[in-house]
Amino acid sequence: MLVYSQYAIVAALVATALASICYIWAVVRGHQEIMAASGVQRPTKVLVGTTGDHLDDLDSLTETPVASTQVAPSGPAAGSLARYGSLLAWLALGFLTVALVLRTIVTGHGPFVTQHEFATSTAWGFLAMYLFFEWRYRARTLALLMLPITAGALLYALSWATTADPLVPALQNSLLLTTHIIVAVFAYGAFAVSAAAAGLYLLVSYWPERFGHVLPKEDVLDRLGYRAVVIGYPLLTMVIVLGAVWAEIAWGSYWSWDPKETASLVTWLIYGGYLHARVARGWVGRGAAYLLLVAFASVILTFVGNAFFGGLHSYGTGR
Amino acid sequence: MTTPVKDGAEVTGSVPGHVDAVDVLDGGRRPSAEGVSILGRVWGFFISMRIGLFIILILGLLTLIGTVIGQVSEEVLADPVAYQQWFEAGPRQKFGGWATVFDALGLFHVFSAWYFRALFAILAVSILACSVNRAPRLWRVAIKPRTSMNDAFFAAAPLKAEFVLPVGVDAAVERVKAGFAQEHFRVLDGSKKSKGADVYADKFRWGPFGTVVAHLSFLIILAGFVVSGTSGFKDNQVIAPIGVPVAVGHDTGLTVTAMSFQDSYYDNGSPKDYVSDLVVTKGGVQVARQETRVNTPLIVDGVWFHQAFFGVGADVTATKDGQTIFTDTVPLQWTSNDGQRSIGQFAIQSAGVSVYVIQAASGAKLADLPAGSVALEVHKTGVTDPQVQVVSQGKSATIDGITYTFDRNRQYTGLAITRDPGSWIVWLGSILLILGSYLTFFLPHRRVWVRVRPTAKGSSIQVGSPIKRDPAFEPRFNDIVARIQSTES
Repeated sequence: MLVYSQYAIVAALVATALASICYIWAVVRGHQEIMAASGVQRPTKVLVGTTGDHLDDLDSLTETPVASTQVAPSGPAAGSLARYGSLLAWLALGFLTVALVLRTIVTGHGPFVTQHEFATSTAWGFLAMYLFFEWRYRARTLALLMLPITAGALLYALSWATTADPLVPALQNSLLLTTHIIVAVFAYGAFAVSAAAAGLYLLVSYWPERFGHVLPKEDVLDRLGYRAVVIGYPLLTMVIVLGAVWAEIAWGSYWSWDPKETASLVTWLIYGGYLHARVARGWVGRGAAYLLLVAFASVILTFVGNAFFGGLHSYGTGR
Repeated sequence: MTTPVKDGAEVTGSVPGHVDAVDVLDGGRRPSAEGVSILGRVWGFFISMRIGLFIILILGLLTLIGTVIGQVSEEVLADPVAYQQWFEAGPRQKFGGWATVFDALGLFHVFSAWYFRALFAILAVSILACSVNRAPRLWRVAIKPRTSMNDAFFAAAPLKAEFVLPVGVDAAVERVKAGFAQEHFRVLDGSKKSKGADVYADKFRWGPFGTVVAHLSFLIILAGFVVSGTSGFKDNQVIAPIGVPVAVGHDTGLTVTAMSFQDSYYDNGSPKDYVSDLVVTKGGVQVARQETRVNTPLIVDGVWFHQAFFGVGADVTATKDGQTIFTDTVPLQWTSNDGQRSIGQFAIQSAGVSVYVIQAASGAKLADLPAGSVALEVHKTGVTDPQVQVVSQGKSATIDGITYTFDRNRQYTGLAITRDPGSWIVWLGSILLILGSYLTFFLPHRRVWVRVRPTAKGSSIQVGSPIKRDPAFEPRFNDIVARIQSTES
């Protein structure tokens, strides 16, 4: 049955890649439609974000006045491409869910042990958080970065041995294994969304005439990034606390300055710094966006850290 | 992202719960920096969020360094000779001349370095100062809020609405109040103007205290670390030979005996289970017995017994002139570089000897060291060359007047025995930290000011809210405004 789990992961990867293409195509089409609608002149900020974070971003592209059939270039409309992209993203989440459920049934424990399993779970978290933001704020342009990040996580997962490892004694605590890692998966997903928002923010900020009309407004992206951190930060706090509880039970010490522990503390400090920096003037905008990217780099370091630094967390890395 | 108000002052982006240094509610006035005493400056340093942020960034950088550069263990750090050996074998090879510089900077034990702890102490003081500084204002905003706003506010408010109701001022005020009451807002009358009326409404006014809880809980956690570091005990390397009572010490009066130890493995060779059957006695009376596994420590009187490691030892007895001068299980806890030999060591201070006990590792076949025998390598103080003899189980060898007997092999279990009164403080702080964060982020204080003024067509209504970082409020705000507009009186 493990082989079906692998097929499902590959299917999810394909769906994610196709969804990425749909979204990129949708934005290109949206750009063309706006160009056609407004003649040769580049429009400034014709869409999105006027009502808080509820962005009908890609739909608005097609709903731009005069962007009707007589002037629109031939080919599928941006809105329908975006809908296909969304559908494919949901499909990818479905495939990944199937893959993780199958793997759990086969191995008898949550898919959180080997690097392959944890990376697959994290990719699931990326997709789930993205789709939550799509559903809640209709911020679909985040897909431009979120789906490639998800695909990257899946490729990383597939680069590790997919064999099922039995649980070594230190991991035989199903309650803490499950809660500690599931919370981490959601936290990482939220941080990926914040990084995607920051990335788009910088694109709009540096090249407004190139991206300003197809991406959400700067302050909307800024708020989305913040919103994602507000979701992720308390979750990361819980991950660290649950990890400390587990360390106390299994190793006799709630804190050992283990590399993974320490890296997650750095990540926590950076996001804490980001939240505080927003209050200090001058740290919104580009500064905040860069800080979010640095913070996500720290997340990635924490994520892959056990594979490279060793330490107490180096389970199932094939070493 | 700032919105100009007037006189060049700005409305800043705000984190829920935090009160901006300068915001529109102050009319954009900045506190003056002139004529501040030295004490005032020190206070200013500690309440500055920039300073706090800077410390956090430095701590992050140091932690990154501590993660990337291999750190020395506490045991090795405590022993200068061992530290020197570790330093020459590891960092010296890796970093060359830079190793000396890194060592001088304490980068091989960052987390116990004085500056790392000093930064945490400064951060703690800074957090305490910020909380003390902010609390009165949070209290005032919650208890005695400003109930009326000026033109600048209604012009610059991030959420605002303006419309006319075709009724008199009093009726309009009633509608406004009803609109907010339906959303469970607290509604207060504003200071009455000569014409018209003001209304203030708010919700979740205790939410901002979440930041106070979260910041103080961080201090509680730090205090827990201090208590953990200065009280209780942590013995990570306790060897309990099977059937041999081991005193826990540290005034606990406890003795632990491992009745058995079992390790089992999966088909692929990875470990499946380590379990020690532990009996704990106090004053000769059994107070606890439990199968102790990695994830199920045995807890007695606040002392935790953790399954940590295991191995095989050799029972060795040494006699001199018919007197027993040593008898114990010597754990064979090291492995030779080629993996072929297990090695243990013991010393007899009175005789000035240090003895290595060497045995073929499990599965290894050595011509000079048959299974079931040990090599005893005796080093005597002041003598360069050690003397070596191989003895089989139950047999003796006499070296330099001391008779060594290899009685038998004996399995041992390795325990970590700890008592940590600080951990409960850490758990309390952790719970408060999570609760505080959720209060802060998910119950942001929602404040709305309304101005009702008589006009020719009825009453003009101005609604404004300063909340910028609370996107979830915007649809609610719009709902409330729509309800007020549509209500028939």
